[in-house]
Amino acid sequence: MSISRRKFLGWLGTAGLSVTLGRSAHSATNKHFSGYPDSNGVLFDGTHCIGCRKCEASCNKVNELPAPDRPFDDLAVLEKNRRTHSGTFTVVNRYAVASAPGKPLYRKIQCNHCLEPACASACFVRAFVKTETGAVTYDESVCVGCRYCMIACPFEIPTYEYGEALTPRIRKCTLCHPRIEKGLLPGCVEACPTEALVYGKRDDLIRLARQRIFRFPDRYVDHIYGEHEMGGTSWLYLSGVPFRDLAMREDLGNLPAPSLTKGALSGVAIVAGMWPVLLTGVYAISKRKDKIAETEKSEAVAAAREHADAETKAAVEKALAQAKKEKAKEIELLVKKALEEAAAAQKEAAAKSETEEDA
Amino acid sequence: MKKGKSLLRGTGIFGGITILAILILSLRVQGVQQVPDPHAEMRSDLVMIDTMKTFGKLERSPVVFLHGQHTEALAKQNQDCSACHLLDEKNRRSYKFKRIKDTDRQTVMDLYHAGCITCHTETKAAGLKGGPLTCGACHQDNPQVASDRRPMGMDKSLHYRHTKTLEDKCEKCHHVYNEQTKVLEYVKGQEATCRYCHGEVTVENRIDARQAFHQACVGCHQERLAKNQSAGPDMCVRCHDADEQNLIAVVEDIPRMKAGQPDVVFIKRSPDIEPQATPEATPASDEDLLTRVPFNHKAHEEFNDTCRVCHHTNLKACVSCHTLNGDEKGRHVQLEQSMHKRDASQSCVGCHGSQQVQPQCAGCHASINQKFGGDSNPAACQTCHIKSPAPSGDPLLEPDDRTRAALLHESRTRVSETYPADKIPEKVEINTLADQYQPAQMPHRKIVQSLERGIKNSKLAAVFHREAGTLCQACHHNSPVSQKPPKCNSCHGQPFDNRQPVRPGIMAAYHQQCIGCHTRMGLEKPAATDCTVCHAKKTAP
Repeated sequence: MSISRRKFLGWLGTAGLSVTLGRSAHSATNKHFSGYPDSNGVLFDGTHCIGCRKCEASCNKVNELPAPDRPFDDLAVLEKNRRTHSGTFTVVNRYAVASAPGKPLYRKIQCNHCLEPACASACFVRAFVKTETGAVTYDESVCVGCRYCMIACPFEIPTYEYGEALTPRIRKCTLCHPRIEKGLLPGCVEACPTEALVYGKRDDLIRLARQRIFRFPDRYVDHIYGEHEMGGTSWLYLSGVPFRDLAMREDLGNLPAPSLTKGALSGVAIVAGMWPVLLTGVYAISKRKDKIAETEKSEAVAAAREHADAETKAAVEKALAQAKKEKAKEIELLVKKALEEAAAAQKEAAAKSETEEDA
Repeated sequence: MKKGKSLLRGTGIFGGITILAILILSLRVQGVQQVPDPHAEMRSDLVMIDTMKTFGKLERSPVVFLHGQHTEALAKQNQDCSACHLLDEKNRRSYKFKRIKDTDRQTVMDLYHAGCITCHTETKAAGLKGGPLTCGACHQDNPQVASDRRPMGMDKSLHYRHTKTLEDKCEKCHHVYNEQTKVLEYVKGQEATCRYCHGEVTVENRIDARQAFHQACVGCHQERLAKNQSAGPDMCVRCHDADEQNLIAVVEDIPRMKAGQPDVVFIKRSPDIEPQATPEATPASDEDLLTRVPFNHKAHEEFNDTCRVCHHTNLKACVSCHTLNGDEKGRHVQLEQSMHKRDASQSCVGCHGSQQVQPQCAGCHASINQKFGGDSNPAACQTCHIKSPAPSGDPLLEPDDRTRAALLHESRTRVSETYPADKIPEKVEINTLADQYQPAQMPHRKIVQSLERGIKNSKLAAVFHREAGTLCQACHHNSPVSQKPPKCNSCHGQPFDNRQPVRPGIMAAYHQQCIGCHTRMGLEKPAATDCTVCHAKKTAP
């Protein structure tokens, strides 16, 4: 057993190619979902946010969340950057940006309500549903608490009620789905005094955002965050500084999370379906091989035995024939001897009689 | 045997993927640029010697060379520039090290190595502090010094001091190249900025700006110093250090430069549209053409430090390069664009627009649509394109063109005040929204007067704020100028109106307007999040 250098390099090349020339993410499906038509969203305009935390307060109120440790008008909370947790669906963080010294900038964090949510694609009980209104809703009645959604979300949004012993739920912003159905605005949007949050149809918001960038090119970074990130999100962002300065991920790419896994995952069904057939086949083949071997073996034995028998028989026959021959020879010899003896005796007798006659 | 083979194949594929991953990751690592050491010593005399790159890729890091340190060290040994810099055939100091020209790689390299190392060794032998002798000490990969060299320029004040000292002998510095005789000569009336000819890089025998300045400035300064005459600096830091630059005396009241420039003049139009002026015809009528713009050249000289601010390539009129339809000569910037391009600092509108970022202007101007100059009103054009009075018909009574321009320029209305104080409401109660908070009491008159104070001395604002009510229009926008403009809630109502997606709701309109303006004007107080300063908290009934 040896492999040549050429062969090894060949394998290496194949491995490399299979990595770089992977199948496109869309190959498992023939369409690209670009959001429900007329679905809603929110545009966050970072240049208008003053960091007043009114949105946080309103969110807490409309979702009937537990009262925070420090009141919402305590802006010293902004000293530290926070994240969402089971009792807080949204937080506003403050960022000191080098390109705008002395001007604190703010960013609101909440569920971005992806057009093709990673959480929903990771959930195997379909607890998450992207609704046609734009919201990604959560059904606690089917949730098994696996928390795959928390790992899947690229924005680290879903949180878990670790404090609940018996009925822990996943908690996250609902885009005020119940309020939207009643024709109300999301709590945070309604509370925002500067309209840093604009609620509307996602398509309109994109147009509005573009118009703002066009009218005030010096004020905005020429990018709408969320228009394409992770396949697009219902929350959109405008900013006057690069989004990375507001601790927003710029490495996410434009593919929706499910498309990253659906190629591999679509194979699961095939594998699951094929496995028994394959294994049975393998088993049958090996079984058949055994059987054939067995038959062949017995046949060979039989043949060998037959062959041996014939040989013995022939030998015996040969021996017998030899014996017969020898016996016949012996008999002949004996007969001859006897005849000779008889002839001699006759001759002697004749001679005797001749003598006697003579005599 | 077979099993072994598939195991190997698996290992091969795994290995391949691993190696690829490592390659990709290491590429990413390579992509990260080296950041200069934040603790590096800042020097204005730092010269990174990378001369060898003219001969190809550098083999070692550039040499960290502190020019000031060397000048001082040589002065202690009673040596001057000639220790390192030779004189060329015209007796000018070459600013290259021990050579006039870059000949070839090996020669130049040997010149540096021999020159530097010999001097360092000799200095050490003489018992003085000599420079480094090992390769890495000069070719430093991670230099602990960084340059904070500030570019130096000749502003109006400095130019005036030079003309005064040199008794208006322009020929001491200014020259033009005579194509025929191939010599530099002085031509009276053709003085211009050095940079028009001396660019970033040396082109044939035309040296680059850096060399030109060092040769001309330092050369002359040293010459005069040698004769014990008053002279400018000959040390790096005196010109290129930020603190030292502040010590350069500035003349406050500078007489105008003597270049025959006009006071007030009509901006030249394209000859294609200029009416033919015949002796018998009355001066060109502006009736059927876009009226000519009288331009106060004299005032603009005062506002700017150099001619180059506007005359960026030569001292001729804009139209000499920027033709009506644009061509190669003017880099395809049409005449119209050369005056109105918003993102060009040399154009009228571009430069005026850049004034609007000052805090006293930004409060209002930042919220005005930047893309179209904010003013689509045809009346706005007439601020510059002033309609001239009809000619009297008597050629003898008509003033000449420049006088006409001056008269027209003077006829512009200048507005630096709004309405009289008693016409401006003192306080405005904003009560349409009172919900969680009590109505806001806006000190309306105080705000208007504060804005007025901010622009009181601005001639630019006085001309462009055409009416008394113009100042009011930043807040009372999108409606005609009026002493009694519509109320905010005449237009702003419920938020997110599909029919008016750009228009904020009434609450956001107030907050965006007030907070936005305060932020842009740099007003620290009241803080944007200090709600109760503007509207007191409503107490429970």
